Amino acid sequence: MLRSLIKSQQAGLLWIILLLGAILSLFAGSHPDRITGVPVNNFLNPYTLMQTATDASFFVIMAVGAMIVIISGGIDLSVGSVYALSGVITALVLRATGGFGGTPDVLVSGALCVGIGLTCGLINGVMVVGLRVHPFIVTLGTMWVFRGIAFVASKAESVLLPRSLTDTVKWTAGSDALYPIPMLVMLAVTGVGAVYLARTVMGRHIFAVGGNVEASRYAGLHIDRILIGVYAVSGLTAGMAAFIGSSYYGSASCADATGYELYVIASAVVGGASLRGGRGSAIGAMLGATLIVLIRQSIRTLHFDQNYEWILIGCAIVVAVVLDQTKQRLTERLKSEAG
Amino acid sequence: MWRRFVWLCAVLCFGASCGGETPTPQDNRLTIAMIAKSSVNPVFLSARTGAEAAAKELSTQHGIEIVIDWRTPPTEDGQVQAQRIAQAVNDGVDAVLISCSDAAKVTGAIDDAVARGVPVITFDSDAADSKRFAYYGVDDIKMGRAVMAELAALMGGKGKVAILAGNQNAPNLRKRVEGAMLEAQQHPDMTVAGTFYHVETPQDAAAEVVRVNNAYPDLGGWAMVGGWALFTQTLLTDLNSEKIKVVSVDGLPPELAYIEKGIAPVLWAQPTYLWGYESVRLIVDKVHLKKDVPIINPMALERVSMENIREWAKKLKGWGFSDVPEHLLQ
Repeated sequence: MLRSLIKSQQAGLLWIILLLGAILSLFAGSHPDRITGVPVNNFLNPYTLMQTATDASFFVIMAVGAMIVIISGGIDLSVGSVYALSGVITALVLRATGGFGGTPDVLVSGALCVGIGLTCGLINGVMVVGLRVHPFIVTLGTMWVFRGIAFVASKAESVLLPRSLTDTVKWTAGSDALYPIPMLVMLAVTGVGAVYLARTVMGRHIFAVGGNVEASRYAGLHIDRILIGVYAVSGLTAGMAAFIGSSYYGSASCADATGYELYVIASAVVGGASLRGGRGSAIGAMLGATLIVLIRQSIRTLHFDQNYEWILIGCAIVVAVVLDQTKQRLTERLKSEAG
Repeated sequence: MWRRFVWLCAVLCFGASCGGETPTPQDNRLTIAMIAKSSVNPVFLSARTGAEAAAKELSTQHGIEIVIDWRTPPTEDGQVQAQRIAQAVNDGVDAVLISCSDAAKVTGAIDDAVARGVPVITFDSDAADSKRFAYYGVDDIKMGRAVMAELAALMGGKGKVAILAGNQNAPNLRKRVEGAMLEAQQHPDMTVAGTFYHVETPQDAAAEVVRVNNAYPDLGGWAMVGGWALFTQTLLTDLNSEKIKVVSVDGLPPELAYIEKGIAPVLWAQPTYLWGYESVRLIVDKVHLKKDVPIINPMALERVSMENIREWAKKLKGWGFSDVPEHLLQ
């Protein structure tokens, strides 16, 4: 499986991530363990690696949904606001009802977050299809509307979630402070997204619509239904990210995930998606988000001046996309020459 | 391709072993991760200057190397702050010094840090329900009251006023608004038109002030529980000092012109340099000298007006502010 991954479209990205990991491990330095006194590498230790995966997980879960929208030729700018709205409404409902205790809390809040996310996604999809307005405009509008509703509903207060949610998402698996749940959910969502896109008829239809919408229409595909579906999936993943994120941090506020839509779209683009549609993968979205989070991590691990963070991330996005496009052009040229 | 992958893994393992052998004199070193709310806010840059000054001074005094590891996010985000606390603990820092953008968001990360043996102190904006060992900062309710009381005195205890309050999520600002509202209730001839929030940038704050002034032509005063609007120069011309009086918190260099022009005759300044300086001193007391320190460490406010504007300007210069008006230093 590893061999096939290395040979796949995302191989270049994987190399860059591994290379960055190697550089970080080499130059990170070390500190003595607080209990044993044994030197610990400042990057290559289970805590930092798990923290990096956790930080990436919220982006990745949303990026898989956003990637599906981008493959269909659309864009969803509202994912950060859907995240905030799902978290806030769930927290308010749990507060109003006094919670249900333990597992019911987890089930109810999971269902609420995902349900609200799905509803927001459906609203986006229906508006894109029904109003025949470019998705950039529709989701730009709903981005403000959803965050505004979260703002009004919460009165800008940060609403605490029941402790049982945090205890569940911060399950330590017997370790002292390693929390694998966000990473596991990230891997599961990526896996499901990869199978959905590559192995199901619906997935192939999405690629077809993104590649050539008119040809897809003539081929008899239900374009409107497919488009509503992709925005619904994007909302659903944003709701799922909200459930994991809000539970992990123990609170939800209307300011949550502000600006995350840009990180999520950047993750998809760095991960190989074409904004013209028809190209991309869930694994690419995961690798793209991981690379962006790793760049942020490296600035701190290598003790660079963190004021350069935005410059570095911006450059990395442009370089990644230019390299990817160059590779695409070369591949197409070689194919045409061979043909 | 497969061979290259194996080589890269080998380099990764080699890196881990090399990194592991890098000696760091931890026994003689105290590394403090400093996480303020936002690295674009000048008050936190002054706090950093104070922390670094205390680190230098106390390093000499106690014969240890105290290092300030600045990990402040570029913009306010409680979730990013929580991530940075975890990263700092993973990197082996000895203590964390934080001003919380969203107390609820960082409480879990603070508790995790404490559970892993890293003490945490808060400054400016507290996380009172967390396991932090101490807080250094103003009493925000008192601060809100002081601002409104001063404004009431300037307006003769009557008229319509507005409150400018920045980010609604910040717990310290909410308390200041609460204090200002409590004080306003003591003045029956004063009415509060409303509390107005804005994105915490000077331009957004100034724009909000102008919008509200247009909407309430009878407005007589502003109680600003955050000083952003006066970090611009536009209100020097947009506000008429004969019609509108302003009392604001903070006393940063750009705000001093508003005292001189009579628009904001009084500023309730926080000696923001002391956020860093005093907090580092408390950390050294707790971590290095193993002393007990009080949980709440109140910071006194300074009333800045025309009477003491020059002394205050000189203090600001000494705290590292480079934009103090030259004429006030002579």
